[in-house]
Amino acid sequence: MRISRLFSFLSPVLMAAMLLSACSSTAATTPPSAQLSEMDALIAAAKAEGSLTTIALPHDWCNYGEAIETFKAKYGLTVNELNPDGGSADEIEAIKANKDNKGPQAPDVIDVGYGFGPQLIEEKLVQPYKVSTWDSIPDDSKDPDGYWYGDYYGIMAFEVNKDAVTNVPQDWADLLKPEYQGQVALAGDPRASAQAQMSVYAAAIYNGGSLDNVQPGLDFFKQLNDAGNFVPVIAKQATVAKGETPVILRWDYSALADKDTLAGNPNIEVVYPQSGTIAGIYIQAISAYAPHPNAAKLWMEFLYSDEGQNIWLKGYCHPIRFNDMQSRNVIPDDLLSKLPSFAGPVAFPTIDQINTAKQVIADQWMAAVGADVK
Amino acid sequence: MLNKQTSDLKEKRDARQARPNFSFLRDWVGVIPFFIFAFLFIVLPSVTLLVHAFQDNDGNLTLRNFLGLLEPSILDAYWVTIRISLTTAIGGGLLGFLMAYSITVGKLPNGVRSAILTFSGVASNFAGVPLAFAFIATLGRTGLVTVLLKNLFGLNLYEQGFSLYSFWGLSLTYLFFQFPLMILVITPALDGLKKEWQEAAQNLGASHSLYLRRVALPILMPSILGGMILLFGNSFGAYATAYSLTGGFINLVTIVIGSQIKGDILYNPGLGYALAVGMVVVMSLMMAVYYLLRRRSERWLRQ
Amino acid sequence: MAAAMKRSSFWSWLWIILGTLYFLLPLISTFDFSLRARKGILSFQAYLNVFKDPSFWATIRFSLIIALFTILVSIILVVPTAYWIRLRLPKLRSLVEFISMLPFVVPAIVLVFGLIRVFSGAPFFLTSTYLGTYALLVAAYVVLALPFVFRSIDTGLAAIDVRSLTEAAQSLGAGWGTILFKIIFPNLRVAILSSTFLTLATVIGEYTIASFLVGIKAFGPYMSLIGQNKTYESSSIAIISFLLTWLLMGMIQLFNRGNANAGSLAGGR
Repeated sequence: MRISRLFSFLSPVLMAAMLLSACSSTAATTPPSAQLSEMDALIAAAKAEGSLTTIALPHDWCNYGEAIETFKAKYGLTVNELNPDGGSADEIEAIKANKDNKGPQAPDVIDVGYGFGPQLIEEKLVQPYKVSTWDSIPDDSKDPDGYWYGDYYGIMAFEVNKDAVTNVPQDWADLLKPEYQGQVALAGDPRASAQAQMSVYAAAIYNGGSLDNVQPGLDFFKQLNDAGNFVPVIAKQATVAKGETPVILRWDYSALADKDTLAGNPNIEVVYPQSGTIAGIYIQAISAYAPHPNAAKLWMEFLYSDEGQNIWLKGYCHPIRFNDMQSRNVIPDDLLSKLPSFAGPVAFPTIDQINTAKQVIADQWMAAVGADVK
Repeated sequence: MLNKQTSDLKEKRDARQARPNFSFLRDWVGVIPFFIFAFLFIVLPSVTLLVHAFQDNDGNLTLRNFLGLLEPSILDAYWVTIRISLTTAIGGGLLGFLMAYSITVGKLPNGVRSAILTFSGVASNFAGVPLAFAFIATLGRTGLVTVLLKNLFGLNLYEQGFSLYSFWGLSLTYLFFQFPLMILVITPALDGLKKEWQEAAQNLGASHSLYLRRVALPILMPSILGGMILLFGNSFGAYATAYSLTGGFINLVTIVIGSQIKGDILYNPGLGYALAVGMVVVMSLMMAVYYLLRRRSERWLRQ
Repeated sequence: MAAAMKRSSFWSWLWIILGTLYFLLPLISTFDFSLRARKGILSFQAYLNVFKDPSFWATIRFSLIIALFTILVSIILVVPTAYWIRLRLPKLRSLVEFISMLPFVVPAIVLVFGLIRVFSGAPFFLTSTYLGTYALLVAAYVVLALPFVFRSIDTGLAAIDVRSLTEAAQSLGAGWGTILFKIIFPNLRVAILSSTFLTLATVIGEYTIASFLVGIKAFGPYMSLIGQNKTYESSSIAIISFLLTWLLMGMIQLFNRGNANAGSLAGGR
């Protein structure tokens, strides 16, 4: 226990030291004591700014509620939370609209879908920052210049209201069975929600398509709709609990959070489709026009510290530094045991694959499913 | 009455030319605050809308967004939105009028009137996610009424082809806030129907329905039309309820706009703004129709 | 005549009962669902959880204050304008009506970002202070409520003979202030009441504008936060906000009836 605490204390320090020494801008390696004072300087600067403005962070999404409260308590900053229900485009629009605004409407930090990374850089919406634990973030999940960085990922699963169905579906093909008439739904509109879009993408990969061919996913949902199994409503925890949409496609962290919140009323089961599923990464960035840049950097340091990453893990998300933390044994055992494991295939699409797929899905969705809902 | 008013207007017009401009300014004083407010808080923010409608994602001037409006799926979206707005405007207008009539002319007790008016106030804005869920809980597959009908009368709504997640289901849901709105808006007009007119009509031997058809309705028609255009606009611009209930599976313009300027997938704000400009055009057309109808109905009123 | 009265009474009651049923069923379903927070039994647990949350009280208090200011500004802005249009400037009526309908077609998200862009920088700097931000919020809500308020007031004015009233008052020596406040306003009592109800309901539940201007300090965003992840509480909050708003309107209605000494000078029952 004490050794691991020593590790968790020293490792960001060592990482930072290695990082600084790797940077060509500094001539010599800065000693660890300077690292600590850099962190102190950041904390002091953040406290001088006094507050942080976040956007589109629901409290039960990856346990952000606890992250925000812990951050507030630890550093004494206030947090303005904007637009809890927002999507990635809302966040980008908010940055653009608030370019000249230093008030509490301008978001300091954003959390958007993986496919938005290149756009953030192209439109000069974000500023680069490399947290002290930068090196332990996998290379394919971050921008090399530090403009954006992956924060967590989740895996697509079925969230099932056990009390409302006779048999719990185990795989994609099960969803097409007649016993699920009028029972299967998506948790969003594939033309507007990353979660719904990834559901279609996942269906594509394991029903005759691939990471580069999403048409079978659209065909799958067309089949589902023709069979009468598909319910054209946006499913949420409430509609699952009511039994109106007892089987939905959802990120596993949201499904597991639902299971905890409902606490058996009704019984929820989270199932990974046996043939395979897909992972969805989200990324973080600091706004180029942030009114509180130091508070924003401190927030990032907090989220990417072991403490912050474990808070996300508590929310059933896979924090991006998971492999590194596991190798250093800094994950509490009780958290590890609560995280469900899945041995089947999990697809990790690249940014280009995501952006191509989403265009196809957005264009073809209404033709596949919407046509007869008139 | 008619002659006096036209001669009055002529007098005023001539007088205005004769007198210095002070009274002209005084005429406008009453409305200047409104126009200043409208300019600052409606027009200025909407300029963004107009300007960005002509830009693409990189900021260059383009007409491509407006060309995008001619795509069949988008034209279809406009048509479906207009249809649902007309349906709920007329349906809600009629029902709302009948209920308002009952509590005013219908001489129901004052307590009922108060209750209905205050209730209408709340219901007219009970929209979005809570309303969608309320209707799911009532008429969804596992809804209270659906289950009740199945158990008590053996009537399975969904097997008969009904679905809440359809055009008619959405219309039914919209009506929940449409007809309270009509009630609130038309009640002052109904209150303005003088008792004396009804009595005079009766003394002249007119039946109640004749009075309604020839006296009350013509007087009320401008206000009824005003209420209906309001309902149309209210439905036309509605977003949250439709999105929550139909999840974007019904092609409505507001939902298409939403998917372009909000959401995680598409991101073409130029197209979204062009769509909104299209909505302004449609709204203007509807208002033109409304003006024509109202002018005809006001012709003999000469207010 | 008695038969005719009885007949109209029957129809009146019929429409009211049908309408009431249509109103009540969705609410009953929501209420029923909100009672099921504890498995297998009916309980008010979801309501207790909401009432115990300090954010609930803080956000509702905030939104109510904003609503109050919105109502005041709306009425003071619209009544003289609608009156003047009817009396002096009938040609402007189409323009004003068109403007009053614009809020329907400008999406709320466009409006809020437009307001931020225009008023956060020079020369207004409204968003640099909390008071400025709240003022911007009130302005945005006045815009949102404008179609309803204008239509109610306009309908109310149509029902009274504005011209005769004004001329009579003028010939008695009344100035414009007296005419507006002592004659027009009292005669528009029902229309103003309708406007108040509509504005109150609009402001309390509004989400988009509040979420980008003040975040989760307002009731709309708070409801959305709860609604995403707490099933039974989201239903109970819907019922609570419904009942609370209804209660407030009932109080306004009572208060208004208490001041009804002036009565209606120009018709009405």
